[in-house]
Amino acid sequence: MQFNMPSVGKWIAILLSLLLGIAALVLRARIAQPEKTEEGYKPAKKKRNLLMMAGVLLLWLCSGLFLGCFGLGGRVFQVAISPERMNILGFSVSSTVFVSWIVIAALALLALLLRVFVIPRFKETPRGIQLVLETAVSAINDLTKEKYGHANEGLASYFFALAALFVGSAIVELFGFRPPTTDLSMTLSYALVTFVLINFYGIYKKGVKGRLQSFVRPKAIIAPFKLLSDLAVPISLACRLFGNMLGGMVVVELVYFALGAFSVGIPAVLGLYFNAFHPLIQFFIFINLSLTFIGEAVEEVE
Amino acid sequence: MTDIGLIAIGAGLAVLTGAGAGLGMGIATGKAVEAVARQPEANSKINALLLLGLALTESTAIYGFVTALVMIFTMGK
Repeated sequence: MQFNMPSVGKWIAILLSLLLGIAALVLRARIAQPEKTEEGYKPAKKKRNLLMMAGVLLLWLCSGLFLGCFGLGGRVFQVAISPERMNILGFSVSSTVFVSWIVIAALALLALLLRVFVIPRFKETPRGIQLVLETAVSAINDLTKEKYGHANEGLASYFFALAALFVGSAIVELFGFRPPTTDLSMTLSYALVTFVLINFYGIYKKGVKGRLQSFVRPKAIIAPFKLLSDLAVPISLACRLFGNMLGGMVVVELVYFALGAFSVGIPAVLGLYFNAFHPLIQFFIFINLSLTFIGEAVEEVE
Repeated sequence: MTDIGLIAIGAGLAVLTGAGAGLGMGIATGKAVEAVARQPEANSKINALLLLGLALTESTAIYGFVTALVMIFTMGK
């Protein structure tokens, strides 16, 4: 980081945009309560909106120029497939694993606090936190019931915990850490759990013979393809989540890199999509697909 | 042509999978809109099915993207 004193021209540009921006906002406030004319409020409203836009734009320009002059902001574009490693008590640990430990600890603490302080005070008519919790639990119960055929508490609670972990790891990104879901090893491990669950429930419901018979149905010749598509399930689940999360991260990093010192405000709007909405959709799809595959394995075919 | 140039061309070819995924998702969404227009009461069911289908369609684009990323970040070294 170097501190070159900016030239006089740059200072004038900064001050000019700052003054003009403040002037536009002040002017907008002055005509905030317009007199009603024959044409109604419409022209005044249009003018106010224009001034508001001009003010925000000029202030943004000012902040960008200011940061640019001091060489602040503007980072180097750096994205790696594998996260950096850190040393904890002599073990080489991936930083995303450490972050996911933090998320797990925070979630466990939250669950404990909810159990001790909130759940004993539940009332007949849900309000506040109780309403949120009951909605979430019943949503995951309904999803399990719809996909699995009938209610299964163990499966529902596993997927609820998975959803909580994923949402927690998405929130971590807002604090500037690399989210654990952008690590292929994490997504692959949960996809492998799904793979184990598919086979466990398939064998539990139909027995070993029934599970093996499902490969040769309807014709014996398609057995290799069915086996292959079963083996592809964890890989496709893992790659889908990993690719989506990494893609969002790369896009946001690219925007920071391209805007340089002007990356004030605009990345926040993008982040709302790439850090909040998009991950939630992907987590829902991960859980939905896992349940669909499990439901497919236990399906009764005559 | 240098190695990095060939890697860049390969990565660019790999993300061409996005074209097919976009086409498929567009067709699926159009059909879903038709279905909802015909039967508005089946809205929620169609929605769930559409989301699942879109996720499966999108995965081709995602595989291409992951392939391109792996090529760029691991082959150049």
